[in-house]
Amino acid sequence: MKSPATPLAPPRRRPITTATAAVTVVVVAAHVLAWHGTEFSPAALVQGWRGMADFLGQALPPDLSWTEVLLPSFQGALVTLAIGLLGTTLSVPAALVLALLAARTTTRNRWVYQAARSILSFLRAVPDVVFALIFVTAVGLGPFAGVLALIFHNTGVMGKLWAEAMEEIDLGPRDALRVGGASGVQVAAHAVLPAVIPQFVGLLLYRFDVNVRSSLVLGLVGAGGIGFLVNQSIKLFRFDEMVTHLLVVMVLVVAVDQLSAQIRRRLGV
Amino acid sequence: MTPADAPPPPLRTAVTGPPAALVVRGLTKSFDGRTVLDDLDLRVESGQFLALLGANGCGKSTALRCLVGLETPDAGAIAVHGRTLGSGHDAESNRLRQQTAMVFQQIHLVRRRSALDNVCAGALGRLPLRRSLAPILFPRELREEAMACLDRVGMADRAAEPAGRLSGGQQQRVAIARALCQRARIILADEPVSALDPAAAEQVVSLLADLAHEEGLAVAAVLHQPALARRHADRVVGLLHGRAVIDAPASEITEADLDTLYAGRPASPAPASHVVHQEHR
Repeated sequence: MKSPATPLAPPRRRPITTATAAVTVVVVAAHVLAWHGTEFSPAALVQGWRGMADFLGQALPPDLSWTEVLLPSFQGALVTLAIGLLGTTLSVPAALVLALLAARTTTRNRWVYQAARSILSFLRAVPDVVFALIFVTAVGLGPFAGVLALIFHNTGVMGKLWAEAMEEIDLGPRDALRVGGASGVQVAAHAVLPAVIPQFVGLLLYRFDVNVRSSLVLGLVGAGGIGFLVNQSIKLFRFDEMVTHLLVVMVLVVAVDQLSAQIRRRLGV
Repeated sequence: MTPADAPPPPLRTAVTGPPAALVVRGLTKSFDGRTVLDDLDLRVESGQFLALLGANGCGKSTALRCLVGLETPDAGAIAVHGRTLGSGHDAESNRLRQQTAMVFQQIHLVRRRSALDNVCAGALGRLPLRRSLAPILFPRELREEAMACLDRVGMADRAAEPAGRLSGGQQQRVAIARALCQRARIILADEPVSALDPAAAEQVVSLLADLAHEEGLAVAAVLHQPALARRHADRVVGLLHGRAVIDAPASEITEADLDTLYAGRPASPAPASHVVHQEHR
């Protein structure tokens, strides 16, 4: 390649537009307002170091006595796992029906589609903690309220994720079966669902992972499990017990996360 | 398989007797003001293999999609075995449409399901829901019928394999078996061999020709290879700008006719004798 006689001028940089400048100003202003709104103060944190030190002094070393702390902690963790498991599994039927109705691939009627989307949005918009507080008033304190809360919230989230997975598939096999006279349900069973099974299982495992972590928080509002034990320890100022519970929680969360990741990798999703 | 140099099978014309399998009159369709089908007439007889030729965008695929109800035509009448098809999805129209099966360029099998289950799915239209919610519920007679269909296309030995693991040509033959299992009397094929290598293409097109000649099906295939059409088809219809401008026995198609289709103008000053409508830009 011969180099040209005069060096080629590189294209000019795009000048900063007023739009870019305006967006920058808005973003900076939003952060300043948020700083004030949350009373964010590194100075207060530094001044309060003594409180932190007291807390750590009481929390460490963790109380690892078997019968009083560690055994109840493991039992609590199992309940938390059970809440996450049932909350995920029992939401499958409703999530599947709503997802089929809320995917354009399987639902041609615009009104049905919009109605299903709205129900899913509502279930997703109400946090599982709020559902838990509602169900605690109905069925009392305990893990059952947590399971009910997860079923409702997870139906909304998983239904949405599944509907989106179905909308992304190749529509060819669906059209091929429609031409052959297959009904909507038959098309869903023989063309749409077989194409999305790996994605569905992957999303289900992902939601199981999330739901186990959510059920910890549900315990804090009285819906049983190890979260309930964490809450109790804090109220009794037994921070050494609390740290033990948190360590067990960490093991549980890492184990579930690893399991779900392993299976999803096998499935290739 | 028909050797390449054999003369094409004789043209069968139904002068008297039962009405043609598929008759299309004045089919018109436009997308966003762009006319794709312009007053198209088409006639496919039982026992006949018709090849549709034409340049990209001449309306071949849209025509087939209108015939099976995947697109709604703006105007025109479609008659299946002499009975006019309604424009909607009422029971009678759906029943008539079920006599027509479609084979696609992209094949459109469910890749994760076995070849046999894919073929069985062709019969969904006549199965009650309780026998068709999952492949395990398919009746035994249907499985036997599907095996016969797979055998007809030479794929019986691969029945248990997932469709996605078969080669392109094999998949297309399974898709044709699915059309047979639908008990369709009319097979429309939209570029069935465009994604296949020449040997597989030859095999699939000669299979379609055999189904017309031996089973008496009406077969219409959009092809992009005029040579294949001349070798296997009984009749060739050439589409240009959404109209049928050529309609002749395959043996009478000339180079000039092909130039008309693919260049959009007649190659010689005197157009070929069987150019039915003259279309100039």
